[in-house]
Amino acid sequence: MNSNEHGRAMDLLTRREVEGIAETDVRWLETHLATCEDCASFELALSGAEKAMRSFTVMASASLVESTQARVHARAQQLAEQQARTVLIGVSFCLGVITSTLTAWMWWKFGGWVAQSLGLPSGIVEPGVLLFWLLPAVVIAVLMVVIPPTAFEGSLAQRYMRDRLRGMQ
Amino acid sequence: MVAAAFSTLMTMETEEAQIASGLRRRDPEVLDALIEQYQHRLLRYLVHLTGERATAEDLFQETWIRVLEKGHQYDGKSRFATWLMTIAHNVAIDHLRKRRPASLDEMRDTEDAAPFEPVAESPSPFDNVSAMEDGARIQAALEQIAPIFREVLVLRFQEQMKLEEIAKLINVPLATVKTRLYRGVTALRPALRGHG
Repeated sequence: MNSNEHGRAMDLLTRREVEGIAETDVRWLETHLATCEDCASFELALSGAEKAMRSFTVMASASLVESTQARVHARAQQLAEQQARTVLIGVSFCLGVITSTLTAWMWWKFGGWVAQSLGLPSGIVEPGVLLFWLLPAVVIAVLMVVIPPTAFEGSLAQRYMRDRLRGMQ
Repeated sequence: MVAAAFSTLMTMETEEAQIASGLRRRDPEVLDALIEQYQHRLLRYLVHLTGERATAEDLFQETWIRVLEKGHQYDGKSRFATWLMTIAHNVAIDHLRKRRPASLDEMRDTEDAAPFEPVAESPSPFDNVSAMEDGARIQAALEQIAPIFREVLVLRFQEQMKLEEIAKLINVPLATVKTRLYRGVTALRPALRGHG
């Protein structure tokens, strides 16, 4: 009897119940177990362990299930609100970029007119134009940072976004 | 026969796909149904893994929160039970690492180095175990085994998982799963004999 045969027998024994083994392997295993005390002992231990494990039951209580469901619901709501806020920030950012892009030409002309009327140097007018151009996006960003997330709770915008998300799902 | 097997397979695929779709939507009804369906299996796995009911109940809740958060990662191609147990395994590992660093994964090196050979030990009256139906006694015997071995025993004998599935779930080579199963069975033998 060599260690390869023991190894094969162990492998077949561990696979026999769940994965299943071929008919030829079943016959070989029976022959081996009849002559190998160690492997026969392991077979007994294996079936004993299996019986012992199966006879042991653990039941989850109804209160555990209910509290878990409640926690999962609360977290799901929290995640939905976070998602709604992220979408809101994204939409606001896009609106800011669009507004800035559309008004760029107007601000540029306005800056030129101010510079011409007041005789200001371009070193002052150009940064001023740039500031006014970016103003919508800057204001939105500042509001998003300053206003706490709780301020959005129940707001029209948030409800709208949440409904939209639910609709998408 | 083949048609029935195909039908079962298709039903399972549809079911797993429906679960995946529900998890992606974070549908509370789907989650409620899954919690109901897997409550006992998941808790049993965690109780065996941690050895403490109270800790297992905390981890049970944590597992479902993580299922909610990571639900979009489940593709519906594998069995949901396996994916769920993987999440539970990771939650338990995180917990045990925080609580006592010398826990689950510390023993990996030493046990992998050991050869997979039968122990020259005289046959024991292990048959007595089959007659032993006292849950508390079995639990006491299981608690004497290291968690890494206990986990494999639970996944194999209670969850009826394939060795390959267990290897994937606990992220170790197949040979390690076999070694752990063998060692778990061997370690359970004297512990139960002592109570017999």
